[in-house]
Amino acid sequence: MTTEPAPNLSRDRPDWLPPEFPGVLEPAPRGEVRLMIAGSAFSAGARILHAAGARFVTIFAARRPERWVIAVFALRGHLVVVRAPAPEDSVALHGSLGAWWPAARWPERALAEHRGVVPTDLDVSRPPLTAPDPDRVDGRVRGPDVFAIPYGPIRSGVFEAIQFLIETGGEDVPRLQTRPFFKHRGMADRFLGLVPDQAVHVAERVAGIAGVAYATAFSQAVERALGVEPPARAQRWRAVVAEVERLANHLDVVAKEAETTALFVGQARFQILKENVLRLQAALTGSRFGRGMVVPGGVRRDGGVDLGALLRAVDSFERELRRDRRLFLGTASMTDRLIGAGHLERALVEEYGAVGPLARGSGLSTDARHERPYGDYRRLGLEVMTASAGDAMARIEVRFGEMSESLRILRQAIDHLRRRDGELAVELPPRGTGAAFGWAEAPQGELVVWVELEDGVVGNVHLADPSLRNWALFDHAFPKDVLTDFAFIEHSFGLTPAGADG
Amino acid sequence: MLGWLVRGLRGGRVTTGYPARPELAPAGFQGRVEVLDATGADRLLETVCPTGAIAVDADARVRLDRGRCILCGACVRVEPERFAFAARYETASRRRSALVSGAAGDDVEPLRRSLAERVRALRRSVHIRHVDAGSDGAEEWEIQALFNPYYDVQRLGLFFTPSPRHADVLLVTGGVTEPMRAPLERAWRVMPEPKAVVAVGTDACSGGLAGGGPHTLGGVDALLPVDVYVPGSPPAPIAILHGLLLAVGVLAEDAA
Repeated sequence: MTTEPAPNLSRDRPDWLPPEFPGVLEPAPRGEVRLMIAGSAFSAGARILHAAGARFVTIFAARRPERWVIAVFALRGHLVVVRAPAPEDSVALHGSLGAWWPAARWPERALAEHRGVVPTDLDVSRPPLTAPDPDRVDGRVRGPDVFAIPYGPIRSGVFEAIQFLIETGGEDVPRLQTRPFFKHRGMADRFLGLVPDQAVHVAERVAGIAGVAYATAFSQAVERALGVEPPARAQRWRAVVAEVERLANHLDVVAKEAETTALFVGQARFQILKENVLRLQAALTGSRFGRGMVVPGGVRRDGGVDLGALLRAVDSFERELRRDRRLFLGTASMTDRLIGAGHLERALVEEYGAVGPLARGSGLSTDARHERPYGDYRRLGLEVMTASAGDAMARIEVRFGEMSESLRILRQAIDHLRRRDGELAVELPPRGTGAAFGWAEAPQGELVVWVELEDGVVGNVHLADPSLRNWALFDHAFPKDVLTDFAFIEHSFGLTPAGADG
Repeated sequence: MLGWLVRGLRGGRVTTGYPARPELAPAGFQGRVEVLDATGADRLLETVCPTGAIAVDADARVRLDRGRCILCGACVRVEPERFAFAARYETASRRRSALVSGAAGDDVEPLRRSLAERVRALRRSVHIRHVDAGSDGAEEWEIQALFNPYYDVQRLGLFFTPSPRHADVLLVTGGVTEPMRAPLERAWRVMPEPKAVVAVGTDACSGGLAGGGPHTLGGVDALLPVDVYVPGSPPAPIAILHGLLLAVGVLAEDAA
């Protein structure tokens, strides 16, 4: 991967990289370690990284400068990027990673079905993952009174399209299959041929409720590929709108949990807080979802509100949140439904490469803002919220903790914005060429975006969405739970099907 | 529980009076794009728009199709004297052609008053079924917001129902992906007459930025007869409520 112009390229082999790893080190931008290996060594290399405790992030086909299959892992706060040549569309990868590494199972099948890159030992006779048939009910559990419920893709209530095939005898759930692939719009292809300033609007619409995170990850990938650093003021505004987005998402999860328990006042209170946050985002950016704010090179506007008023809004929001949080956590009928529900063992979460509040609720201290600090987070710092219980309650506690941390970050960033003026954006070099990763911590977890630019337009994009990486775990979230716990456990995951299958 | 009671009462009433009273969008809200001056435009202007919503005819007149507009503001930045954002919620229309600038648009104020009449005249409650046919997820948030205390649509006799067999209105988001095509069609087919279909969001109206590929139909009206279009990316809750009330009018006409 030739990245010209080359920003801060590092060529040293890091000492934490397992010495037996077969790859050849290549120059890479900050935060990435790039290695090239032969296709025949792909699977063996992945096993070495697995043994070293790496987290699987994604696998995809790249085009620049020629065809490659790239697998990405997270290890020691770096992205380890392993590439193998793939000269033809239908090249056979030597050995499936998903066969022994659960985290790779869905991304690998998506790669095979969308791009025709098929590992040698992948079972292609299975029904396609990414073009599901809602009427296919392949129940396997046998026993008296066991039945299979195809729940979705149209569900009771206003929800995004997704299907769960639930096999149950009425109470316990011995088998569950999650099928989040009803919404494939081919978003990665919608980027192609657009200039970055237009393509960012596609990024915002992959997962609409995490649009700021998507715009940020995409913009940072473009900036890293071109060797551009956005101005400090732009980075501060990016942190502000990103934390506002996180607040809205976490409040949405809490409101839905309250709704599921029929805790009506609690539901109304958290809905009011969420609506206030969306209105604040609209005042800042003109859009309730912060769209059109974050663009490659910086931000488009200098907020829409007086910064003093913004600080006061943050203060009053925090007072309200603190009261509602105390009541929520003190309501036994609420917490009883969450404690112990949907328990996920830490080892399982690691094996599935889960990220975000889900992983942090099972004790994993992983957060892209902390692991590979980007933008203003390099300066703002972050206390990563974790809980060890691994149940729905732990995930809610993590979200409450993160809301407090978001408010701290907001105050700090607003304070800096007040004290110093500055540019909002830098020009991108015209007709720029390059390729790089960008990342951001979306409310659902770590989001990684790969962008290839050719002559100033987007030539290839890959999106590694946190919802996709977390959802496979849902099949394992009912070890001791019954069917009536379903909604509590689902809401505690807080994921979006649009992101899982852009 | 007492704590919640006190908390709920202390918050006071926050619910909007819409449609009996107007609900104005806050200044700076990017609700829709207005064409300030349609004349003397260059053909190149068409290339500015990522969704092809801008057309320039032989007389150099500009037409903006709001059913395709995703509110990115590219045109506003290039020609601020020609295009401008308007802080406006009510963007829905019963005719797809009325979403094009220059077409005889609906005057908002008399329409709002007639909607308020219509709500008063509702003899029965209206039941709504939502189907996601491939949205980006933001539209679902804005529809869910209709239940929050700020909008509270149940006060207007509008209810959401789990079963399409009990539904009068089908609220569709997304440009219809292949796996959602059959479930969407099935939901529509089992709805009793009279029924109305509301396309919520630019993706549902025209495919939007997610359309244009082989994976979506590029809009709900490629599959079902759409009665009300609610453009926006995503449309705000009041915009969706406005569209729902227009759909109630469709039902009243069909029943008559």
